[in-house]
Formats: sequence, C-alpha cells, structure tokens
Amino acid sequence: MRAGSLVGAVLVLFAGRAVGAPPDAVAHFEKKVRPVLVEKCVSCHGPEKQKGGLRVDSRAALLLGGDRGPALVPDKPDKSLLLQVLAHDGEVKMPPKNKLPADQIAALREWVRAGAPWPDSAPVVVGPPKGGERAFTAEERAFWAFQPVRRPAVPDVRDAKADVRNPIDRFLLAKLSANGLTFAPPADRRALLRRVTFDLTGLPPTPEETEAFLKADAADAYEKVVDKLLASPAYGEKWGRRWLDVARYADSNGMDENLAYVNAWRYRDYVIRSLNADKPYDQFVKEQIAGDLLPGGTEAERADRLTATGFLVIGPKMLAEDDPMKMRMDIIDEQLDTVGQAFMGLTLGCARCHDHKFDPITTGDYYGLAGMFYSTKTMKNHSVVAAWNERAIGTPASAAARAEWEQKVAAAKAQLARAQSPAVAAVAGFASVPLVRQQRDKVAAAEKAKPPGEEAMAVEDAKGENLKVHLRGNHLTLGAEAPRRLPRVVAGDAPLALGSDRSGRKEFAEWLARPDNPLTARVMVNRVWAGHFGAGLVRTPDNFGRLGERPTHPELLDWLAAEFVANNWSMKHLHRLVVTSGAYRMSSRPNPAAGAKDPDNRLLAHFPRRRLDAEEIRDGMLAVSGLLDRTAGGTLLKATPRQYVTGTGSRNYDGYAAPRRSVYLPVVRSAVYDVFQTLDFPDPSVPNGQRVATTIPTQALLLLNSALADQTAAAFAKAVLAVEGDEAARVRTAYNRAYGRAPTAAELDTVLAYLKGSEGAADPKATADERRLRAWRGLCRVLLASNEFVFVE
Amino acid sequence: MPTRRELLQTSALGFGWLALADMLASRAQGADAPRSGDPLAPKKPHFAAKAKRVIFLFMHGGPSQVDTFDYKPKLAADDGKPLPFPKPRVVSSATGNLLKSPFAFKQYGKSGAWASELFPHVGACADDLCFIKSMHGSNSRHGGALLELHTGSDTFVRPSMGCWVNYGLGTENRDLPGFVTICPTLTHGGVNNYSSAFLPAIYQATPLGNAGTPATQVAVPFVKGTTPPAQQRLELDLLAALDRERASPSDAATEGRIQSFEMAFRMQNAAPAVQDLSKESAETHKLYGIDEKATENFGRQCLMARRFAEAGVRFVQCTHSYKWDQHENLKRDHTNNAREVDKPIAGLLTDLKRRGLLKDTLVIWGGEFGRTPVAQGKNGRDHNPHAFTFWLAGGGVKAGLSYGATDDYGYYAAENKVHIHDLHATILHLLGLDHTKLTYRHAGRDFRLTDVHGEVVKDVLA
Repeated sequence: MRAGSLVGAVLVLFAGRAVGAPPDAVAHFEKKVRPVLVEKCVSCHGPEKQKGGLRVDSRAALLLGGDRGPALVPDKPDKSLLLQVLAHDGEVKMPPKNKLPADQIAALREWVRAGAPWPDSAPVVVGPPKGGERAFTAEERAFWAFQPVRRPAVPDVRDAKADVRNPIDRFLLAKLSANGLTFAPPADRRALLRRVTFDLTGLPPTPEETEAFLKADAADAYEKVVDKLLASPAYGEKWGRRWLDVARYADSNGMDENLAYVNAWRYRDYVIRSLNADKPYDQFVKEQIAGDLLPGGTEAERADRLTATGFLVIGPKMLAEDDPMKMRMDIIDEQLDTVGQAFMGLTLGCARCHDHKFDPITTGDYYGLAGMFYSTKTMKNHSVVAAWNERAIGTPASAAARAEWEQKVAAAKAQLARAQSPAVAAVAGFASVPLVRQQRDKVAAAEKAKPPGEEAMAVEDAKGENLKVHLRGNHLTLGAEAPRRLPRVVAGDAPLALGSDRSGRKEFAEWLARPDNPLTARVMVNRVWAGHFGAGLVRTPDNFGRLGERPTHPELLDWLAAEFVANNWSMKHLHRLVVTSGAYRMSSRPNPAAGAKDPDNRLLAHFPRRRLDAEEIRDGMLAVSGLLDRTAGGTLLKATPRQYVTGTGSRNYDGYAAPRRSVYLPVVRSAVYDVFQTLDFPDPSVPNGQRVATTIPTQALLLLNSALADQTAAAFAKAVLAVEGDEAARVRTAYNRAYGRAPTAAELDTVLAYLKGSEGAADPKATADERRLRAWRGLCRVLLASNEFVFVE
Repeated sequence: MPTRRELLQTSALGFGWLALADMLASRAQGADAPRSGDPLAPKKPHFAAKAKRVIFLFMHGGPSQVDTFDYKPKLAADDGKPLPFPKPRVVSSATGNLLKSPFAFKQYGKSGAWASELFPHVGACADDLCFIKSMHGSNSRHGGALLELHTGSDTFVRPSMGCWVNYGLGTENRDLPGFVTICPTLTHGGVNNYSSAFLPAIYQATPLGNAGTPATQVAVPFVKGTTPPAQQRLELDLLAALDRERASPSDAATEGRIQSFEMAFRMQNAAPAVQDLSKESAETHKLYGIDEKATENFGRQCLMARRFAEAGVRFVQCTHSYKWDQHENLKRDHTNNAREVDKPIAGLLTDLKRRGLLKDTLVIWGGEFGRTPVAQGKNGRDHNPHAFTFWLAGGGVKAGLSYGATDDYGYYAAENKVHIHDLHATILHLLGLDHTKLTYRHAGRDFRLTDVHGEVVKDVLA
C-alpha cells in the first residue's frame, strides 16, 4: 500500500473559484449559505469534531470530502453528497435530528449550482488522503504476540526445598527464587487425586480409586493415574466442553428466532471424539475452518471433517432481518469474531467499522478475511426466517437407508392421494373418511421413521469474491476493494492469489495451522494452562492483543508452545507435562509470606484452589449419589428441526432431567438450564475462554431448594441408609462417598447431634422412617453443598 | 487504586473472592459500613440526579403511535389515499394506502396532550407525562427491535440496560436482586433482553416467571423448596459448623460462602414478602384494577413493581405480553390490549405520586417499534421502526411536555428525532450516569450501552 509513504504529508488546496465571484453570489453565500453551515453543520463537521472524516468549514474541505467521498461537486447539486443528505430520503440524513427547512435547502442548492463560490480563499491544510491502508509502526510489529515462538533454554535452578519434576518447574522457580519465594510443599495424596481427577475428567474419584491410590506405593503411581485418566472417555467430555465454551456451542439459535439446531450435537460429539483420540491440534483447527475442503480419508473421516465445520455455523444469528445483505455481513462478523478469539486470540471484530484502535489490524485485514467467509455458503438463504446450511454426511449404508425411507414416504403419500381422489370418494362415500385418516396416519408414521444420522451443520465453498471495505461497517456505503488475504501484521504483505474458484478458507486454515504461526500454539497452550491453574500465563486467554495482558512467564509460554508443536500438537502430551510437574502437585494452602509479596499468586507459590464448574458440581452430585448415567454421545434435544424452543410465554424446552453427564445436556440459548445459569455457565452466544466463579445467594438457594438438590440428596441418603451397622458407620460411608475420607471425631459428633436434632424437629405426624429419611437427606444435602465438596484443593 | 472496572476485570479469576472478602469486611464493620469492593454495593452516580430507580412498562408487539398518542388529523383527512412520499427501503410486509385511526382523540389536562380513547386513565395523568413522539430505531422485526430497545444492539448479544444501571449504581437492598423483570418474554431475544452478556453475571436480571406465567404465580428461581424452615435452619447450622471445622483461620472464602447461605435464607422470606399484595388495601387493589378481570394481571405486575421499587430494587421491568402486533384486527385487539394496561398504569402513576415515590422513580412506557400509518390488509398496520411514541414520567423528567414530531401521517420521525440510543443516553443521564463514561472492557475494547452513539435529549430534562 502506498499510504505508508504518504503518512505525514499534507495537502494544500486552494479554493480557487472564490476570487472574482460576482458580488451577488458572494452576498447570497454570506446571507443564506454560510449561516446555515455554521449553525447546523460545523458543530459536528468543523474544527472540534470531524464526524465521518468531514469538515464543512471551507470549500476545499467540502471538495476533499470525508469517508464517503467528496461532499461537493461545484455546479452539480444533484451529484453533490451535501445536497443528497439534506434531502433526508436516503440512508444518510443530515442534519440527523431535523431536516432543514425547504428554503434553506433551496439556498444551498442555488449556491452549488452557481459553482459554490466561497469568498475566503485561504488554503486549508488537511491530513493524508483517505482510502489507503495505514502502515504499521515498528512498535506494533515488535509486539510480543506477533514474534516467532523460540524454544528458550530451560533455566538452571537450585532450590533444595522445591519438588522439581520437569522444565515447567524450573521456569516457575526461576521467577519465584528471584522474588525470594519457592513452591508450597506437596499436596496430600488425597487432595492431589481429587484435584487431578476433576481437572482431567470433570468427575470426583470414587472411594475405591481413592483407597487404591492412597495404598499404592510404586514411585510412578501418580503417573499411572494420570495415564488412566487421560485414556478415559471422561477426559474428552471434560476438555471437549472447554473447547465448546470457546466455540460458543449451542443446540438452538437464540437471538431473535430461537430455532432448534437438531444437528448441532454432531459437532459436539466430534469435539469430544477428537480430544479423546488426541487428534493433533493443527488438524483440529484445519478441520473446523475448512474440513469440507481437505482431501482424502475414509468416509467416516470425511463425514467428521464436514461436521467439524459446524464450528462456523452454530453461532447465534438474527434470522429475521429484513435486509438480507445486513444479515449476511452480521453472520460473517460473528464468524470472524469467533475465529479470531478462538484460534488467534485477536479481536478481529473491532476492525469491522474502522481500523482496530489498539492492534495492528486494518479494515483491509478484516474485509480480506471477510471475503473468504463471504465466498463460503453458511446459510441456505437469507430470507426471513433464514435457514442455515446443512450437509449430508451419510455413509453408503446410511445413504441407502435414506433412499429407502424416501421411497416409503413417497409411496405412502401416493396412497393417501389416491384415497383422497374424487374417484375413490365417489365410490366409497362416507366410508372414505376413515380410509383417508388411516392413510394419513401411515404417512405420518413413515415420515417419523426417518433414519438417523444423515445431516450435519456444515459450510461449503461458493464462488470466490472479494468484498469492498464497508465504511463504518455499513454495507450501504462501500469503500475500496479488499482483496482476500491474511492479516498483514503476522502474514506479511504478500497477497494470496485467490480467484473465483475458491473462497480462501483452506489457505487461511493452513496458515493458522503452520508450526511457525506465532499465535495458534501459544493461544492453545495458554488455554490448557488456564484449565489447570485457574488462570492463563496470559490472563486474557481470548485476547493476546495490546489490551490483553502480557504473559507472566513469556519463556515458559514459548517453551510449552514449542514443546506442543514438536510433539505433533498433542494435547494429551501437554496435559501430562502440566499435571506431572512439581508445581501442579503443590499444596493449595498459601504461605503468608508469599501472599504478601504476590497477592494474586501470579508467580504460583501455591496451587490455586478453585470452585468446581457448573457441570462438575452437577456431575459430582449425581456421581456421589449414584445417579450418574455415563452413556456417551447422541442427542437429548427433544425437538423437531427448526422447532421454536422458546415461545413468548413458554420454554418449550425443559428436557434437563436426564442424569447424563452435563456435556450431553442440550444447551438451549435463552433457556439455558437454570442450574447451569446459576453456577456461572458461560453465555453460549459468545466465545469464552475463561470460566468465572461467583458466590451469590441464588447458588445457595439452588443447593438448598432445587429439584437437583432434592433428588441427589434423596438418592444419596437412601444408599447410605442401606448400609449395615450403627449410625456412625453410615456417617463414615457418607463421608467416604462425598469426600473420600472418614470424618474426624469432632465431625462425627457434630453430625450425630444434627441427626438427632433434625429427627426431633420433624413433623410429629410423620412416621419414624420418614423423619429419619428427612434428617439423612438433610445431611446429604449439606455434604454436597459444603465447601469441601464444591472446592478443589 | 484500581478502578472498579479493573477490580471487576479480575472477576475472571477471583470475583467471588473479591465480593466475599468485602462482604466480610462489611460484616465486621457493621451493616452501614461502605462496601467498596462489593459489586452490588450502592455506588455514587457520576453526577447528582433525581431518579434513583426505573420502572419500565414494556408493551411487546409494537403499539401504534397514530392510534394512541400521536394525533394525526391529516391521516384521517387522506384516508385511503396513497402515501405521498416513499416508503422505507426495508420493510417487513407489503402495505397499501393510508388508513385513518379508528379511535377518537382528545386533549387532556393543562398541557393539552393528545391521547386516543384507548388510554382515558393514562390520558388523565398527562400533566405528569413527557411524551417523546419522534422515537425511531433501526430494525423492522420484533427480535432485532426488542434487542435494540433493551440492549442497544440489534446485531449481537450485549448487556441489557437494566444490567448497565445495576452495574453503574448497585442495589439498595442486598436481600433482593438489583434488577427484576416480571413476566419477561422468552422470544424475540428472550433472555438476551435482560441478560448481562459480558458484564459479570451478578448484574443479570432475576426473572419472575415469564410471559406465560400468571402474575399470581411468579417467583424468584429456587426461592421455594420442600424442606420445612425449622429443619432447613438445622441444615444451615450443620453446614456452617462443618465448613468452619475445615477452614483455616484466615479463610475468607469459607466465611463468605457461609454468609451467602445466610443471605439466601433471608431472601426466601424477603422476596415473597415484597410480592405479597394481600397487605395492600382494597382501595389500592381497585386503583390498579386488580379487582377486575381484564386488568387484574397487569395490575398485579404494576403493584409488584411499586413494591419492588419501594424496597430498593434498582430496575424493574413489567412486560405486557406479545399482544400489540396488530397486522390485522387493529380496532378490536388494540382496544383489548389497552383495556388491560390503561387503568393499571394510571394506578401505578397515581400511587407512586401519592407516596412521594414518583419524584425519584423514572417510569418509562413504550414498545419495540410503532406501526405504519398505511394499511396492511384491510384493518391492520405493519411494523414501523421509523416513528413511535414513548413517554417518561417521574424523576428528573419535564412533566406535561410533548417532545418531537412525526411527519403529517406519522410514518417517519421528523422533528427533534430521538433514536433508541438517545433514549438510552437520556435514561442513564436521568439516573446520574454519563453514557459515555459507563463503560466495561471486554474482548479488547470498552463497551457502552450506547456503543458509539447516543445524545442526551436535554429538552426533556426538568
């Protein structure tokens, strides 16, 4: 772009026509034109403000114009933007609040027709011309996140007190030692097992697992547990859900028309499957952006890759937008915003209306990428109410089943038509009514027997086209063409040669997945770190830009990123490295001295205690009470395609009662399961890389009064009451199930006293059994609501 | 000193901790001690303001301005003629020629404000109202228009205005939520119309029922359980004892969580007590129309709104369910709709005034858009975001004013146009908040309710 060389240049324009203008023209300007411009326009388009990049306080400024081009064409009022906007009948209306009186508009028109004479012919100085792309400063180019990942040397650390297990510990201890700090002592084995089990699988360890681990004396007992957890299908269920946060996964559209996404679950299952298979992350990235364009593989792999592009389709959309072009551009914007945050840690959405104010991302970058998505079919149509794209993912067997089903439906319909025909009616008379009903039932039954598993939400390439820059993000005011290309600050200035035969999505995906892309590995490594330590090495996991935080341990971040790429982008390798480090095995009890020096625990002098996620609380309650159904995959969304899942006064969807793992419960936008909503489940309409944990009274109400609390407490109590022996033995069982330990003597006394008191306080009309059950339900409810249960030490 | 926003930003990591640590501090210092880090603690506005709270009466569906408060004699005169200027570029349905209002208009009070026969009771309150006749928005569909009205964006999920107010001012009663929405619609954006989006979840509205729930049955989620109070008390005592047993002496999180259970225990009584209308006199019930079938439901919503406002809830929304969408049967259905709300609204205004609450309560009335002065079919009107009427009353508003105007037929806002962004800026201003300064940093930039738009309509300020 040439703009760079023009930065700092000034243009000097002369308002040449003014000199020698006829005196009556000057009088007309001074009396009828200048006062209007001064009173009605200059406050927004003058020395103070230049809305739309425009000033109207000189002829030259009007000739130069603003973002929308020249405001004035002398002699030609109809061609002058100035007069067009005064008419108040187009997209741009000026002044915005009130149309000028007709006589004032007529005066301005007359002035322009007369050549727009302006008596003060002093030259005006204006900035560089509009349109060209700005050059980036050296500082912008040198920003840390855009620099190549370099594998740093592991620091040599001598700290006799610390448990040094792998390079992670050396990087962390280097910083701690420099601050006179060290690791907290190792956590006790019971706490460590609960921590790593929840962290890798989202479930508590069973009492048997706890007992086995406490008894195991092999040196590598912990490593064996880690391997077992990583190999468990529950790993993909936990960490798949983390990715679904980032992918703003949901089973309905939300927004204005809340239609069911009956095929979204296939994408969810694809994510879980990919993680369980330890699919290399570079491949995982490519499949979600351009899986439809990747060659080779088996039928099943091709189906998987089509399903992966559901990532681009599952976002929330305004499906009832009367302006189809606005709908289309809004959908693309949502895709870019998500892709940017999810894979690159960049807020691309900021560059829709203007160059990014903080990061070196221009509107040219934005519309260069937007063109790729414009050249991609995400929607079947953009009419009201619009339909998203779905593609067949059938295997030959399922395609045959589908064809057979279609034939059956057609045959049933043909029969119905015959039954309804006048000929039959004439012969059968009233008798044809039951016949028609019967045939109608047959059609309904045939339609209902649609074989499952045939369509996924997915995209496909359309004709490759470039977009023009949308001035201020408005599709009605277009600027220069923006050739499809990659973000310049990272990818460089070389254009991508993209013709009309392709969108450019594949090229974009391949670029993201390159080992030398400075963002992709760093962003993902940071997410994994945040999932284990509560906060990332960059504490704004979705924003690696200037307004994001800087890494607390840049060398460690880079070492992990390099290690990740070198090990074939293996997520499980990364998890294993992190959870077998000495740092991960530290106690969560803070050292007061460290607390004073590093109150936010950024240096990690102790393991950060965390509250369980919404899903972990629910799954944990179900697991401890023995209700959890571990069936994997499939859909629980009881909805027909495109069914409205919320109505004005109804939540048509409330199928949250199934005791399956939380990841398999439908995520219905606008009707998110209230248990999740209350426990800080992330908003499924926006990408989200960081869970939060609030403590609010409604959470307490939930744990006291919800159906979930009632059901789990009842099942838990019944299971414990079935235990032989005395009350103390039963209390010990309850403790073991909830916490994997026995109660202390003091705790036992407290609990036994409670049981006695509660039975005594119960309704005297109730039977002894009922009173006892109620007291035990109360105990079980309390155990599941306690800090020891909802926090991981 | 970190700003409040910076404090909240750490929410990603330690929000609960922050709130709790502070809750503890406030406990230690007594209830009246300032609670600076508590995200819901009352906060000082940017500047002194009259309005302390908001009651928003939302008419879902799009009431017709030319049939309610925007009197257009020329529309009657030109009934059946074609519209003499172009229709908008984007419309939701095809429409025909001009259609006069089937309703008679008259002037009310000293201000001489016009109201149709649909709103005799509200009309009688005209001298307390400030009409904005030149409202306009950008979206011609219910979903987009609802979201734009509630959140400022018809494109993306953004925090609702009640959440911004809650974020800006905090709540005055910690036993109650700061933002309550009574019988909200679950469609046309649904929860997104009252959700906090990227603002911390604590600012989200607490929904009481939804548009399908009778006002007699609405409740705070989970507020009712199956455990008798005496036994629940024992459970809470056990919980506190067990939690304290395990906690280290300096463990603020434990103590904070115990307190949140105590607060929940109190909330179980506080919220239903506010909702209990049986303590109100028969005269009050009558004032709100609770004694009549047509007005009972919305009357209850309005009376509950007054009680929540009185109890210190910052933002209360009442929704008159999705009824105002008269693509046909304009006369019949607008008549029924208005009958359901006219008396309750007038009752609310009267009651607030006589209790001295109107002076610091801002009451807002309106729908997501207006309707076309041209006919859809024979006796209906299409959506029209280009012109509609809102009225404001109470805290800081110039009473008895009619501001702005539409064209001769009421199709486009024409004079002193007020965009939804301007309305938002004005509402925040009335509460003492500068809409350009009430920001929250998310995904790399500072967001505001008004995005990059909005101007305070100074002429409507008292």
